[in-house]
Amino acid sequence: ATDEGNPKQNPNPNPRAQKPGTKNLPALRNPFAAAQDRTKNSYLTMVEIFQERDVHRRNHVEFIYAALKNMADFGVERDLEVYKALINVMPKGKFIPTNMFQAEFMHYPKQQQCIIDLLEQMEDCGVMPDHEMEAMLLNVFGRQGHPLRKYWRMMYWMPKFKNLSPWPLPDPVPDDTLEMAKLALERMCTVDLRSKITVFETSELKDAIDDTWIVSGMSPEQEKLLREHSRQKALYIEGPFHIWLRNRRINYFTLRADADSEFLSELDERQLDEDDVSHIEVPFFGRAPPRRHNQLGKLRSVHQQDDGTIMAICATGTSTKDSLLSWIRLLEANGNPSIGEVPVLFRFTSEVPAKAEEIEGGASVPATSDNSSQDEHISSRQK
Amino acid sequence: TFWEREKKSGYKTKLPEPSKKQMIMDGLRDLKEEMKLWRQEVKEQFESDPILVFRPGETDVVFDFKAPDVLDKWTVTTDADHGEGKSTATLELSAAGAGLFHGQVNSDHTKDGIIKRTGYANIRTKRVRKSFKRETTYDWTQYNMLVMKVRGDGRSYLINLHTEGYFDLMWNDIYHYVLYTRGGPHWQIAKIPFSKFFLSSKGRVQDRQGAIPLNRVTHFGFSVAAKKGMDGPFGLEIDYVGLEYDPSHREEFAYEMYQTPKYIVAT
Repeated sequence: ATDEGNPKQNPNPNPRAQKPGTKNLPALRNPFAAAQDRTKNSYLTMVEIFQERDVHRRNHVEFIYAALKNMADFGVERDLEVYKALINVMPKGKFIPTNMFQAEFMHYPKQQQCIIDLLEQMEDCGVMPDHEMEAMLLNVFGRQGHPLRKYWRMMYWMPKFKNLSPWPLPDPVPDDTLEMAKLALERMCTVDLRSKITVFETSELKDAIDDTWIVSGMSPEQEKLLREHSRQKALYIEGPFHIWLRNRRINYFTLRADADSEFLSELDERQLDEDDVSHIEVPFFGRAPPRRHNQLGKLRSVHQQDDGTIMAICATGTSTKDSLLSWIRLLEANGNPSIGEVPVLFRFTSEVPAKAEEIEGGASVPATSDNSSQDEHISSRQK
Repeated sequence: TFWEREKKSGYKTKLPEPSKKQMIMDGLRDLKEEMKLWRQEVKEQFESDPILVFRPGETDVVFDFKAPDVLDKWTVTTDADHGEGKSTATLELSAAGAGLFHGQVNSDHTKDGIIKRTGYANIRTKRVRKSFKRETTYDWTQYNMLVMKVRGDGRSYLINLHTEGYFDLMWNDIYHYVLYTRGGPHWQIAKIPFSKFFLSSKGRVQDRQGAIPLNRVTHFGFSVAAKKGMDGPFGLEIDYVGLEYDPSHREEFAYEMYQTPKYIVAT
């Protein structure tokens, strides 16, 4: 325990409170703001000191509010044990209403509201209470207490929503950007279950400037689409777009081709309306009428979206043009030789640091760079 | 509060009213269209030939962003509208021809001691009306699924189905469910049963729950919040919102309807 932990042993109160003419305000000092080492242990020690200071535990509501406010600084806002320690500051049995009037009119409203706020902070941080907390609250406020109602509501709804997401994420998400990029790519690639996530190092290439990693996601179907892609039509590296994983944002880039409008319109034609009786074809001498369309034609892949065909997705460590260029060359080296014969254009929605000027001239990849602004980008897409 | 004076609960923006002359002129101009609508309604009433068979697997689109002047049907609100935050949001057509709800959510706000938390953006359709601007409701009782084609950014959005009632107690009834977006360049079709929606009022989940009255839906909308440090840009691209009838989904309400103790619930 440190001296900072003890709030009432402060010998010199705030000098402003002692100014002549002003009312003598009580000297309040926030022990949490003054703490030296901000760990869970020191936090719990401060709570303990407050509890053992005297038998009355004066200002415990203010203490709990101050404690709640400073939780994030100590990194304990997601720790159930700490919340329990704070509820434990409340005296047991004193706030239980003894008759129906007390129960109806919120016996000890400040104290009840304080614990309700504590529970709400737990809810906001996604901390689920447990049954021990119910026992503690029952001991403090009794069955009619409003914090108990809040607790029961939380215990009803929170488990229902806790694991609802179809793309579960670790909580908290990892700090490492590479790990986050892998998670992001895995999440985006759930659209095609055959997708493979590959982590490249740009050091594998001879003349890459940036030494960084590239997480690339591509499926066999996308490789097939890329093989079948016309050599005359350009591919676009677009981005940076972002994806959120809890509170972290990851930038990613896509390798996209314009939508194959011929193929897509063909598909629309093939979708015959079975209820349409206006064009019944008559059998000719017992022969079935010829089918107008090839019903066994190519199927539309999930990557062939209305607004473009997505060939691959990547996230790089530096998000520079150079790293994206390395990505293309790595894709070419790793099973997509056709990419070298297709013009690849950069199309950025916001400023991307360019480091690729030197490499462009000598590069075997015919990659050209144009710093198109967002307006140009949209107009070119609307052609 | 014991009673509410008006539906906005004190958040009504006072806009200058047009002059009497202007109002009469606008009214006369709208009269033609309204009469046309009314005639249609009367005709439908006489024909009394409603659609009764809803084929499973067929999506009926209600809010289509490919339709002309679709953006006029939506209202965008953020916490900055009443000086309670700094979020920005717009709804516009994206390059793909879909509706793009994007902007920045920001949980910073003036520390005035009243606002505790802030940082949201919201879009909502305008109140559905029949002829002569009379308020009406959607009737979706034949469907049991909400189908949406969206492209998000990995955030989770809140789907709001307003079922505004007659009394002030029911003015803020909203049924919610979460729309998890995958993120990435691919479109995603989200199919959510109506049975999963739960009732809340003014952002508080209610104790007395019940399945959504699908014949009383008045508005539809999406919300996004800057909760848990998710301050920053967001973007949700919506192609369409539709309805579907799925005969294999028999659930009426997804949450248990316990007998609740007296004097505890809804207090």
